[in-house]
Amino acid sequence: MSPTAGLGLKPQHYDDALAADAEGLWFEVHPENYMAAGGPRLRRLEAIREKRPLSLHGVGLSLAADADPDPAHLAALKALADRFEPFVVSEHLAWSAWRGVHQPDLLPFPRTRAALDRIAGNISRTQDVLGRTILVENPSLYLPLTGHELDETDFLTELTRRTGCGLLVDVNNVFVSASNLGYAAEAYLDALPADAIGEIHLAGHGADEGGSALLIDTHAAPVAEPVWTLYRRLIDRIGPRPTLIERDDDIPAFGVLMAERDRAHGLLVREPAHA
Amino acid sequence: MPELARFQDAFAAALAERTTAPIAGWLPDSAAELPGLAVYRNTIAKGCVDALAANLPTVARLVGDEWFTAAAALFARDSPPSSAALLAYGEAFPAWLEAFPPAGELPYLPAVAWMDWRWTTALFAPEAEPLAAEAFALAPEALAAARPRLHPSLAFAWFDDGTPSLWLAAREPDADDLELSPEPQGVLIVRPHDAVTARVLDRAGHAFLAAAHDGASLGEAIITAAEADPTTDLATLFAALIADGVFSGLDLGDSA
Repeated sequence: MSPTAGLGLKPQHYDDALAADAEGLWFEVHPENYMAAGGPRLRRLEAIREKRPLSLHGVGLSLAADADPDPAHLAALKALADRFEPFVVSEHLAWSAWRGVHQPDLLPFPRTRAALDRIAGNISRTQDVLGRTILVENPSLYLPLTGHELDETDFLTELTRRTGCGLLVDVNNVFVSASNLGYAAEAYLDALPADAIGEIHLAGHGADEGGSALLIDTHAAPVAEPVWTLYRRLIDRIGPRPTLIERDDDIPAFGVLMAERDRAHGLLVREPAHA
Repeated sequence: MPELARFQDAFAAALAERTTAPIAGWLPDSAAELPGLAVYRNTIAKGCVDALAANLPTVARLVGDEWFTAAAALFARDSPPSSAALLAYGEAFPAWLEAFPPAGELPYLPAVAWMDWRWTTALFAPEAEPLAAEAFALAPEALAAARPRLHPSLAFAWFDDGTPSLWLAAREPDADDLELSPEPQGVLIVRPHDAVTARVLDRAGHAFLAAAHDGASLGEAIITAAEADPTTDLATLFAALIADGVFSGLDLGDSA
């Protein structure tokens, strides 16, 4: 099946998602929102899964913590993966759980060789439990940390070599991080290994309401034009990949999001720019 | 300790202390506070507040956005999530509200929070098929000896005022003029199929469920209900509970 575009599934859009007839449409959810014993949310996801491919995009495994992945969380993730048979399972190059506290965010860390060893181990452990490889997503960054021993692209590439994991490239995160930390988004994207990229995310960002010059990865706005430009550049280089429109806040009508999704879909199914 | 662990301890301290000082060793030399830490802190706070507002919607509605956001952010600092599954975050909020001085003006708020919490818990509770009325078509002695299993989503409680009615009214789309009756009431919350339902429970109904919860047979539970309120219509009470879907099984007493 050639790669197509999908949409982040929100509970207020369950009926629309079930009724949608767009070709190649797939959906993505955060598994954490379905880690429940039962209830209508799981049943609705089941009904949608009967019609559409599904991607599980984790936000809580905390792969970049200096600790083993939480066995209970991994077990819950595996149960969902076994039940819903997603075509892809992904997580982030970030940490959120530390010493019993879960911070609902994707936090940064110094990319040392020791961190690489730890995170590669955590990814391998996750893949062993799930019985499948996962994709790992580049984070949005807001602090100019020092003490990095590897560039982020080298760090991600090394993770793919060591663990067999793939990459989920969030083009908006690249744009936001490049702007916040002062590097070239194009060069970052060009440095990623094409063969490892299994999915692409597109989302919106905004200005910092706190008044700083930082861009914030809010997922509360349409995908920005410079991000679309970077996306076209990326798929011109690597070819089409399953591409997701992510929206998690200020969620508009389903049709509004589908229009963005259809734009990505159109770019994926056009004749490739390169021969 | 490995550097990654030291960094994570330092970052957690920086978030809690609202200053980059604990992570200064990982930042460029500069006297200025960097705005990035606040971005992470705000995202974390928003994640916690949004989850609590979703899980405790009636509290959020009764106190308004500003009050709720401030209270929820304070709660999140005292009692942060322990799991990434935020649909299960907020169990400690009702008890925390009891000790939160600004909530003193709304003495029913902790009870409202408790009912919201149990409503949310019921929404995500395990599946179980509720027993239909036919399941109770037994000989009188067998029915009296049978021990009911209560639905896994069921919650019920007794209150010394009318908070259950206030809570139910506040959940209606166009709730206004909410009044707190001094009459004691119970509440029943259950999700027999797809939807959570909640209703006021009278003294006899509460006594019946409390007895059944403690392992009583149907006969014993009915006697307990009659003792709690001798005027109650026991057949109506029992039929209503069956219709609510509170029973998920029946262990037939093996008297042989």
